[in-house]
Amino acid sequence: MSTQTAPKTKPQIAFFDFTSCEGCQLNKLNLENHLLEILEHVDIVEFREAMDDKADAYDIAFIEGSISTPSCVERIHDIRRRAKILVALGSCAVTGGINAMKNLQPIEDVRETVYGKDKYLFPTLPAMPVSAIVKVDYEIHGCPMSIPEFLVVFKALVMGKQPIKPDSPVCVECKLRENECLYDRGMVCLGPITLSGCDAICPSFGQFCTGCRGLVPDANKNAMLDILTDHGLSLQEAEKRLLLFNSYKQPDTFK
Amino acid sequence: MNKHNLLLQNIPDFVAHLQTYGEVHAPCQKGENSFSFEQVTDPSRVVLDYARTLQSIRKYFLPPTERLLNFSLTDNTFTKVAIENNHRIFLGVHSYDMKAVLKLDFNFSHRTPEINYLKRRENCTFIGVSYEPDDYHFSRSVGITVENTEGFDLFLDRHENGYTVQVLTERGTEITKDFTALGEALEIPEISRQFKNKIKFNYNRLPEVMEQSWNSPVWEEVAQRCVGCGTCNLVCPTCYCFNMVDNVDLKLTDGSRDRHWDGCLLSSFAAVAGGENFREKLASRQRHRIYRKFKYITDKTGDPWCVGCGRCTAYCTAGISIVEIVNRLSDEFEQTHLRKSSAPVGQKIQGVSL
Amino acid sequence: MNILTKHEHTPLELYYPEMAEITAVNQFTELEKWFEIKLPDGKELGHQPGQFALFSIFGIGEAAISICSAPTKKGAFDICVRKVGMLTEKMHQLEVGQKIGVRGPFGTGFPVNDFKGKDILIIGGGIGIVPLRSLINHVIAYREDFGRIIILYGAKNPDELLFPDELENWDNDPSIEYHVTVDQGTPEWQGNTGVITTLIPGLDLDLDNTIAAIVGPPIMYKFVLMALKSKRLPEDNIYMSLERRMKCGVGKCGHCQINDSYVCLDGPVYQFSDIKNLPEAI
Repeated sequence: MSTQTAPKTKPQIAFFDFTSCEGCQLNKLNLENHLLEILEHVDIVEFREAMDDKADAYDIAFIEGSISTPSCVERIHDIRRRAKILVALGSCAVTGGINAMKNLQPIEDVRETVYGKDKYLFPTLPAMPVSAIVKVDYEIHGCPMSIPEFLVVFKALVMGKQPIKPDSPVCVECKLRENECLYDRGMVCLGPITLSGCDAICPSFGQFCTGCRGLVPDANKNAMLDILTDHGLSLQEAEKRLLLFNSYKQPDTFK
Repeated sequence: MNKHNLLLQNIPDFVAHLQTYGEVHAPCQKGENSFSFEQVTDPSRVVLDYARTLQSIRKYFLPPTERLLNFSLTDNTFTKVAIENNHRIFLGVHSYDMKAVLKLDFNFSHRTPEINYLKRRENCTFIGVSYEPDDYHFSRSVGITVENTEGFDLFLDRHENGYTVQVLTERGTEITKDFTALGEALEIPEISRQFKNKIKFNYNRLPEVMEQSWNSPVWEEVAQRCVGCGTCNLVCPTCYCFNMVDNVDLKLTDGSRDRHWDGCLLSSFAAVAGGENFREKLASRQRHRIYRKFKYITDKTGDPWCVGCGRCTAYCTAGISIVEIVNRLSDEFEQTHLRKSSAPVGQKIQGVSL
Repeated sequence: MNILTKHEHTPLELYYPEMAEITAVNQFTELEKWFEIKLPDGKELGHQPGQFALFSIFGIGEAAISICSAPTKKGAFDICVRKVGMLTEKMHQLEVGQKIGVRGPFGTGFPVNDFKGKDILIIGGGIGIVPLRSLINHVIAYREDFGRIIILYGAKNPDELLFPDELENWDNDPSIEYHVTVDQGTPEWQGNTGVITTLIPGLDLDLDNTIAAIVGPPIMYKFVLMALKSKRLPEDNIYMSLERRMKCGVGKCGHCQINDSYVCLDGPVYQFSDIKNLPEAI
């Protein structure tokens, strides 16, 4: 415990990557305009994508990527022990993301397809969100992680308050921006059941929502499948769309 | 009441003329198949022949997001935010959207009048335009004809080569008197445009229908098809619910208290900090939405709080139709309540314990 | 006609808070903290017992909280805050001398003038005692205006009892009939154990002349109402205060709506007969 007389030090933050494309970390470097302001408030002590330094303890650890090998499990436990606050960053870390699609196939088949005869050199697990292994304090959704949400969570954590968790769908943000509904352009879009917090960035630029931020709580998936099939997708295609970012623990839902 | 004739080819000039009196806001093409009210810079972009805009003009008086105050975290103080109220001319407003503004006027002036809304409403001129009802419009069923002129300063009624301009207020006279391209009004027989989409009962019977519909199976059936996205609230011209949040800048020294549109269909709308959610089920939230349009304020004012614009239905990806919901409830009402009371005498006696 | 002048009241700047100063604090329990708050320039809040105000901390947000002092307290007012969310957590960190935003008072409180000459039965469960304290202190201040004062207070366990000093005063005051119960006692607890409804059957009430004021968690209302019904207390004599989510406090934002009633305007205090036909109320 620090005493009141101790000089105020900046929170030490670190970034770690697990099974992922590391796009979220790059996206953070894309914060350009905000980066200097962010560094006013924190010291980055570990960030493989941008620096070599290492530290032993962190006030906030940001975790990118899903957990998909036995060594990942060990490493995430180790980081959790050393981190006061642990934040899952991006859809792989939050929901298992695209990686979790591999869970839809028998794990040995996946291993063989990827590594062929060398498969025994590469132990693998079903892809899991970080929260499947350790306690996650906050989540920043999106593929790549949503910058508006990163800033909301970052500011809240530095201020010592809990960030407000979004629970409404992308449609809300789309309507606030008075976007033309992509269904009226002949597209199908997962905005109606996908968690908001991205400021509807894709639909605002004419790209339908692929659901990268995961589902809203209590999402009515059957109704969403009806919408997708009513707008021209086969049931199989519709299910695939929903599974793209929501495969973890989902395989039985549609059977 | 004065009437003039405005030819189609003179519309851009008319828009330019209006611009000499203030900002002109009118429907413009938005996206591929939609329209939106925008401030006109190029009069040729104005579209007067449109079905509906994505959002009604409520967005000018109750903006989607609005800064309520600015605060400083450094010294724990706040500063007030000026409320803009430039003179604005709204051109090409449909009668249902005008009526919706009049309803919002009631909501924001009744019991505790709110300066934010009312100040924005203060300096406005409204120019209506007729439209051809499509598959979604049902304004007639809630007592608003296409040609309803209530609230307008001018009303443009479409005919083959242009518009008959009705001058309805002094303000209307003022902004037309120097526009020389207006001709003498043509002798055109008045026609009332027909609506394909209709609510089965007269709207004044709907509170009675709703009174009996609290436990209807319709709510659960609608909830099965609904994804709860809140679009129906967010595009509704008479919805005005909002949320308030504090946003802080990245320097963490200053910020603002903002309000933004909210919707009673969204899952946590009625949830309190302790965790209790007073309308946890989607079915109960759908019911609340419909009751807000046809029962609660209607009981108090005698008017439905739906203007029949059709937006909630046209923009519902699940194809849920407000007219269908109301008609199904009306059918149920008819079958269970009207038939019962007009049941044959013999059956009635059986019900009485002798 | 000018939109700004055509209605009966002048349009108001509804969302600007007064910056009020915290003049005293008392941590009652781990979750509940009491604050005394003073408006600028010695201004009185001017509330009625049972009314609430909206309290805010910049950068965090705003929430509705009941006033727990009676209007007879001058120069400052009290609130008691349970830590349930982000704002209340931050409020708990506030100290004497710090400032907090206040808007209000809002809503309809207890119609204390109509209560004159009546026996007052006050039933508070958990933090329900907080808004009731404004009524209790009012009837104590005007003791001669009222008949019997009966206070029933229930908490989960003895550690969660609020206003400890005042509970002792109520207990020692011969003009107040004070009964307390806890769901779960401790070895040291000498008093009643059991839910609050267990205190009701033993009461001997002058039914037509008794007003009941109830505040507690949603689940409590059903059982207390049943118990009062079996006592045959007339429905018109029952008042209760309801909790809902609130943002504006002035009947606009829609969050607190119960059927066609706005808790922030028509409530939080309701006569039971006014809400018994509202299916969303209890």
